Amino acid sequence: MESNKKYWKGLEELKNTPDFVENNKNEFAEPLPIEDVLSEAGLSTVTPRRDFLKALGFGLGAVTLAACQKTPVHKSIPYLVRPEEVVPGIPNYYVSTFKGNSVLVKTVVGRPIKIEANPNAGQFNNGTDAQAQASVLDLYDVSKLKTPLLKKQETTWSELDAFVKGELNKAQASGKKIRIVSSSLNSPSAKAVIADFTAKYPTTKNVQYDAVSYTGIIKANENSFGKAVLPKYNFDKADLIVSFAADFLGTWISGEEFTAQYTANRNYKSLEKGKMSRHFQFETGMSLTGTNADTRVPIKLSEEGPALITLYNAITGGNLAGGALPNNATADKALKLVAKELLQNKGKAVVVAGSNDVSTQILVNAINVAIGSYGTTIDLDNPCKRYEGNDAEFAELINEMNRGEVAAVFFLNSNPAYDAVNPKAFTDALAKVPFKVSFADRVDETSDLCEVVAITPNYLEAWGDANSYEGYYSIVQPTINPVFNSRQAEQSLLIWSDAAVQDYYQYVRNNWEKSILPAAGKTWNELLQTGVVTTAPKTAGAYGFSLALDAVVASIMASSKALDNNDIQLHIYENIPMRDGKSANNAFLQELPDPVSKVTWDNFIAVAPKQAEKLGYKEFDLVSVKGANGYEVILPLLIQPGQAMGTASIALGYGRTKVGKAGDNVGKNAFPFVSFANGTLKYATTAKLSAAGGREELAQTQTHYSFEGRNIIRETTLKDYLKDPASGSGNHHKHKVYDLWTTDKYEKLGNDWVMAIDLNACTGCGSCIVACNVENNIPVVGKDEVRRRREMHWLRIDRYYSFNDEKTGEDVTEEKEIAHMSNLDNVSVVHQPMLCQHCDHAPCETVCPVLATVHSSDGLNHMAYNRCVGTRYCANNCPYKVRRFNWFNYWNDSRFDNYLNNEFTQLVLNPDVTTRSRGVMEKCSMCIQRIQAGKLTAKMEKRALKDGDIKMACQQACSAGAIIFGDKNDPNSEVSKALRSERIYYVLEEINVQPGVGYMTKVRNIDSETKKAHA
Amino acid sequence: MRNISFVFRKVWKSALVVAALSFLNVAVTQAQDVVEGKTLFNAKCKSCHALDHDLTGPALTPKVNELDESFLIPWIKNNVALIASGNKQAIEASKFSASEMKTFPELSDDQIKSIIAYAKVGEPKKTEVAGPVAKDEGASGLSIAGVIGSIILAIVVLVVLGRSVKVLERLILEKQGIDITEEETVPLSVGVRKLFKNKKFVFFFILCLVITLGSFGWMGMWDTGVHTGYQPVQPIKFSHELHAGINQIDCQYCHTGAFKSKNSTIPSLNVCMNCHKNVQARTEDGQISPEIQKIYNALGYDPDKQTYDKTKEKPIEWVRVHNLPDFAYFNHSQHVVVGEAAIRKEKGLKPTDPVCFACHGPVNTMEEIYQYSPLTMKWCINCHKDADVSGKKNDAFYANIIAAHEKIKKGEKITPAMLGGLECGKCHY
Repeated sequence: MESNKKYWKGLEELKNTPDFVENNKNEFAEPLPIEDVLSEAGLSTVTPRRDFLKALGFGLGAVTLAACQKTPVHKSIPYLVRPEEVVPGIPNYYVSTFKGNSVLVKTVVGRPIKIEANPNAGQFNNGTDAQAQASVLDLYDVSKLKTPLLKKQETTWSELDAFVKGELNKAQASGKKIRIVSSSLNSPSAKAVIADFTAKYPTTKNVQYDAVSYTGIIKANENSFGKAVLPKYNFDKADLIVSFAADFLGTWISGEEFTAQYTANRNYKSLEKGKMSRHFQFETGMSLTGTNADTRVPIKLSEEGPALITLYNAITGGNLAGGALPNNATADKALKLVAKELLQNKGKAVVVAGSNDVSTQILVNAINVAIGSYGTTIDLDNPCKRYEGNDAEFAELINEMNRGEVAAVFFLNSNPAYDAVNPKAFTDALAKVPFKVSFADRVDETSDLCEVVAITPNYLEAWGDANSYEGYYSIVQPTINPVFNSRQAEQSLLIWSDAAVQDYYQYVRNNWEKSILPAAGKTWNELLQTGVVTTAPKTAGAYGFSLALDAVVASIMASSKALDNNDIQLHIYENIPMRDGKSANNAFLQELPDPVSKVTWDNFIAVAPKQAEKLGYKEFDLVSVKGANGYEVILPLLIQPGQAMGTASIALGYGRTKVGKAGDNVGKNAFPFVSFANGTLKYATTAKLSAAGGREELAQTQTHYSFEGRNIIRETTLKDYLKDPASGSGNHHKHKVYDLWTTDKYEKLGNDWVMAIDLNACTGCGSCIVACNVENNIPVVGKDEVRRRREMHWLRIDRYYSFNDEKTGEDVTEEKEIAHMSNLDNVSVVHQPMLCQHCDHAPCETVCPVLATVHSSDGLNHMAYNRCVGTRYCANNCPYKVRRFNWFNYWNDSRFDNYLNNEFTQLVLNPDVTTRSRGVMEKCSMCIQRIQAGKLTAKMEKRALKDGDIKMACQQACSAGAIIFGDKNDPNSEVSKALRSERIYYVLEEINVQPGVGYMTKVRNIDSETKKAHA
Repeated sequence: MRNISFVFRKVWKSALVVAALSFLNVAVTQAQDVVEGKTLFNAKCKSCHALDHDLTGPALTPKVNELDESFLIPWIKNNVALIASGNKQAIEASKFSASEMKTFPELSDDQIKSIIAYAKVGEPKKTEVAGPVAKDEGASGLSIAGVIGSIILAIVVLVVLGRSVKVLERLILEKQGIDITEEETVPLSVGVRKLFKNKKFVFFFILCLVITLGSFGWMGMWDTGVHTGYQPVQPIKFSHELHAGINQIDCQYCHTGAFKSKNSTIPSLNVCMNCHKNVQARTEDGQISPEIQKIYNALGYDPDKQTYDKTKEKPIEWVRVHNLPDFAYFNHSQHVVVGEAAIRKEKGLKPTDPVCFACHGPVNTMEEIYQYSPLTMKWCINCHKDADVSGKKNDAFYANIIAAHEKIKKGEKITPAMLGGLECGKCHY
């Protein structure tokens, strides 16, 4: 049965605003000046013959002269002594670790250019997120300091060491406290270094705090089970997942790991076995996880606590106070249904909450105990060590500093002057500390206030280790010599504490050889090759819960009541591109569209459509947001379907002031909205909105193209799928197609490169976009150019909204009904990665006047940049709108000084891919450099090409395994098998362009009951 | 035209060799043992010793003059035994270097005497052979001269023809009895002026002009960006003729990447040092060859102390000879490993020649390297159209390309073009 469900890319399309209708008629985003030329003035302009000849003569002469330049002389500079393992032209791979995840770093003649997941990491090999993919650019950041600073003057390490040691001795003599402020340290060696430092200076204490905190869960587990840990969640073991505002596919604890686990139960392989998990999401703002949920119910921030109490009561039959949602019947109904299902799925379900409130998390623990999650879906015995921050300790630090008890403070991978709860209070307190050292790599908000900036190298230049789970260790090894005169923070601490071993490499090695490697029976050299050491996991035990919940409930209700006043409830969240703002100077991340709003280069205040109408705001109106604590920012307003009424959301990570060219003053800082209450940080507050006057258009990549309401997203429900795997795919009603090329058939002698994309696995996280950017030297164009719809991404993820009728719960099918729809809260979302489809009957090829884009015998649509003259006919004729035009030489134009306009940053470029110049069209090449390299390796080894030899950059990065690439001529390849799935459909297949990329229908695990729950 | 210069150079060189040989012959008759000694020295001693300066071992000429044969012969034969026997002189000699000297039990006493004799006499003095070096003539210069020559020839032929036509006409008229008044001789300037009034001549003149300029322009345009014969001056006068030609060093010894990577790679200096730590090509007055000294300078190497100073390192900036545009992808290993057989066949290489010669030309005869092939897209494509890759019959990679494999099995000719080797994206991405 083909679905007539209506999808829309943005509210403009849904409402058919006059602007949108007008824009849609136009071929180009900007009006062409044809009318000016053809107008009377234009036509009456006389160009006399002589003038014409003059211009012609001058033009010809100028062109000739310009062409007469001498051929440039190229220098080739070989190594003096070539390292044995380096062969120019052949990449080397080294294992390392990024944010606790083991990665493989590709280096080309000594410079790291690409990050992949480490295939040796076993169950922790879960692809890479956008942050990891983009991290390679941070190495080549010109905003970094080149030498250490002493009192803002450049200095040498020996001078700096002498000064620091003197100050430390003074601090020691005074008997006052020394504090090392860091974000969560999951490195065993770094912890050992700090222990050594503490032994030398006994008043030292390491204060760990995270800008986005998980203290609530840790404290709750301590309270409930006597274990102050973050548990290991096993979403792959859960048939039913209920999340209360936990963005576990995106930003919560470990997004890519949870994505891999989550999609293992929802991808095409799982569906072929007839199995698919079910996911309910109750949340305020539209998160990435919310967009993937089978059923998503918007709730206010103040309803989160009562919702959990309701659920608890419904599961246990208890009667805790406050278990009602009087103003949200939908949620109330849904919760009853969820409770029933949770009980049916005992031991195969999990409830998670994103809240950082201890009481809320204790209640979640109680629910999880009641549904038997511990020992199966939640593992407390092999805990996660990614986050260990303690909010209370950091709050106490400010008090200590204010009391003048702290003599010296060190900042390690932390920037509290930007991301502390109350930056003003922090900086005031800091001013009372006589000696401050920052280990930042640049003059950031905090190091600007420090006497000493002992610059640290990027992780790609450093030694180190990580222990992100109990029994899972990984190594950080340098892939390039330190570019600047930097020194690792750990080494500095060793030197300042006069340690016996001052070389941090030796220190890490000793530490591993003493305490980690013997147990695993591995040698140091083996470790450097494999990168990880895992020990056998402990058996996860089941846990009981015996605490009385009355006090907990009272606390939850008090917090809830505090939020429930007449103001707007303000939800502060991490978004996928920027996270906590530490990589704000990374242009790849700034230009990565937020997966839901598709906004780049900015944060904004998101409100529900009805809310905006009620408040009288239009999209992009500048709104002044005044928090309960008096902090005020002015942000553009974004209308976000799915946002709960009475709430608004603002992303963290923006508004950095001292980070570098790309990240300075992008968006506004939302950290001051965060508050500290009941021992933890609270990411919810209330705010008053008022019109600030004016309007600022956000740089969105979303509404650029329209599909004119065509049937490009196809979806079904699990129930229908089980009855008929082809349901919803439209495969039962094929359009009659007409073929222009009846005689001229392509013969694919060798390979036929194709791709299959599983819409049910794709979560829309966007790491493939960054992977594609890095692999293919795709330029970053900046905010203004994105507004002009000139972003260059070869791969984009289209996000489509659809929604269900309030009353019947049926899919809304007809356009006129949409027009009547008053409530847009109830949207469901599909993410569709869209890239060049490599059509066999490519419409772009037939219109190119210079044959710059032609078809290959292995099914690819080639693009010869050096042939292209930039007519843009191809982009115009492409039904998928995936072709991108270079309006500028982005890598050599001072107007685009985001990142690539200097020789240092240009080292990040992949030497196997041409940098395109101005006036040239470009598009997804299906990573042809990887195809050619894979083929050559097979040829050199005189063997047949194996399935899986060649991986696309997007495919390799994808945690969900949603992208499958391979040879269609090989019937046993994974892609051939995937393409034989009954769920496969081709976008716009009715126009018979014969695309090479097949999509699998989106399957939602909903039934009539869950549908009705919406009503 | 280059070929002519090659031939010329080759002839000249063989003449030199003959002369040198005849000179040597004279020397041979005079000192048989010295020549034998030289051969043996080169084979056995040269890797550690030089005659006039210290290397791994001490300079030999002073040593053989200083020490007695009665010590030298057993020392050279088996220095280890000699040291073990407690010979004081031997123990003293062993202190020269930490590294032990090799033993040579295979050498007879006479052979050792020959080496000593050679070490005493030293290198036979070379006669100065400063011959004219064949210069390359500009290829285009000659063709331009040809065009001009043929035009002049055409004019001469026309003038002569015109004259004879006139004479013949007069003869006919005379025969017919018509009296002709003798033409007056006109001054040259008037003649030229008259010539330019002749429409036929003016037409012809303009035609010639157009053809000349047109062909210049045409050739110029074809050659724009084509750098065949490009031979820049390199920072070190490295001779491929000496290394690859005379010394027969395999291409891959230095260009290690060619068979593995897309880059053939310019050798790093540690490769040079494998030989040039010892081979110093000293001049008569003991100076290290200035070109080899450049290697030492770049590495911060002190040949006397045999030490490296990292602070003095300065990489050598070679001038790139073969430049492909950035948008063209070329992979050496694809061609010299995967395509070797087809390329050899296509370019008609001798089995003894390295496959590199197919595109780089006779490198073993190039004093300084130059660009041999045009490196144009047409040149690439022609080869991709013609080369025969049918030899890949048993290659597992091609066995998978079923349709193509069928043709290969039938013995039909398969070219890279048929396998997609002409498609844009195969080289441009």
